[in-house]
Amino acid sequence: MEMLQFEYMRIGLVMAVLIGLTAPAIGTFVVQRRLALLGDGIGHVALTGIGLGLLTGSSPILGALAVSVLGALAIELLRARSRSGADVALALLFYGGLAGGVVLTGRSGAGTASLQSYLFGSITSVTAADLYVIAGLAAAVLLVVALFGRELFLLSQDEELARAAGLPVRFLSALVAVTAAVTVVIAMRAIGLLLVSALMVVPVAAAQQFARSFRGTMLAAMAAGVLSAVAGLAGSYQYDLPPGPSIVLLALAVFAVAVAAGGPLRRRRTAAARARAAEPEVMKS
Amino acid sequence: MTPPFEMRGGHVRRDGRDVLRGVDLRVAAGDVVAVLGPNGAGKSTLIKALLGLLPLSGGSTAVYGVPPARFRDWGRVGYVPQRLPMGGGVPATVREVVASGRVARRSRWLPALTDRGADRAAVDRALAAVGLAGRDRDTAHLLSGGQQQRVLIARALAGEPDAFVLDEPTAGVDATSQLDLAGTLGGLVAGGRTVVLVAHELGPLAPLITRTVRLAGGRIVADDGEAA
Repeated sequence: MEMLQFEYMRIGLVMAVLIGLTAPAIGTFVVQRRLALLGDGIGHVALTGIGLGLLTGSSPILGALAVSVLGALAIELLRARSRSGADVALALLFYGGLAGGVVLTGRSGAGTASLQSYLFGSITSVTAADLYVIAGLAAAVLLVVALFGRELFLLSQDEELARAAGLPVRFLSALVAVTAAVTVVIAMRAIGLLLVSALMVVPVAAAQQFARSFRGTMLAAMAAGVLSAVAGLAGSYQYDLPPGPSIVLLALAVFAVAVAAGGPLRRRRTAAARARAAEPEVMKS
Repeated sequence: MTPPFEMRGGHVRRDGRDVLRGVDLRVAAGDVVAVLGPNGAGKSTLIKALLGLLPLSGGSTAVYGVPPARFRDWGRVGYVPQRLPMGGGVPATVREVVASGRVARRSRWLPALTDRGADRAAVDRALAAVGLAGRDRDTAHLLSGGQQQRVLIARALAGEPDAFVLDEPTAGVDATSQLDLAGTLGGLVAGGRTVVLVAHELGPLAPLITRTVRLAGGRIVADDGEAA
């Protein structure tokens, strides 16, 4: 493939695989907790971190990492504390993050093109050094999912059940939020902060249409995520399109196919389950 | 012996309303307690407060002699909620849901070190006990209401607790499933386990119950086992 002769494309494809694996992995828990817009909120807040990084001449990735982790913890705190006023508080945080980021990026002298690349993604700007940071973060996300998967599964089923099992619910909730924040930072260069959340949610929504199990949903979502990210990036090179929107549109196409194919499948399964339920069963005591 | 649950003067306020108003309840090991009462009497609130899932605004409560916030041995308690939680609609198999009942038995900081063989065996035993052996790969949410209730009971069983707390296990469950449930609970009771359950009416569970606590307006108005 001719595109592999460019270093930025090789870096980009490795990144696409990392994003495709990590975003749906943590996204499965995020969706099950009904926090589908969490990543979106973190993305808004992360822009302030990028602005700070550019303004102080340090790394925008590390700036985004610090601010989005803090933002994620703030969002989690607001969510857990208040039932009624949380969404307004969240909105304040999102708009503050976005507006602050645009102002800070402007002050730093970075042009609109640079801002655009953070908002909607740009693969060409990623250096090999960035890739090492991103690979380290991706490994951390997958490690969290592997080590705490069962605890996070119970937490995302129901917080009350998790508490009744003696799980540290606050710590685990914060862990989900922070891991989501790290994922936002992993994906932001390629996909852009405004679209970053899509890969946490859309592949999971697609996998939900036909998977039977939680684990199966997660694995299928990761496969769909890698497929959309790699194919979207390759397509954006081929047809000279921005990578982020191309990746997201492909993920949505996968979702549409899953919905079309999943409906009949689910109906058949429900019928089969009902048929089995009708068979007499004896309870053992 | 330390009682599994002991509440003294328990008050719970929710949304500006007093839901529990001074409840004293001591559940001894081996008791099979039915908490009865009309809608809004505070039945579910009472058992959630016993487990520390709802904070008390007055009084105190203890699980095996320890306040819930400081209690660590949650593997001894199995909680069966009213309904299978749906969350954001990600499917889960019967085995995944039941296996989540083992979480309290795992090492908290090194979860990967847990004995998977023992986990698997406990889940298999729990599924067999509720008559769902062989259904472990089915998606839990596609099962009937009665079967979902059994999945939740198996979930609690898998943790191998000493005490069970069930929130309306008979609500929305047909007559046959209620009989099945009575059979499962009978097995637990015969094994000397403590059971606290909330019910609207007892139906086929009645012969198992050793003590009936009646709630009304957030207070205990009758308790036939207090002296026992």
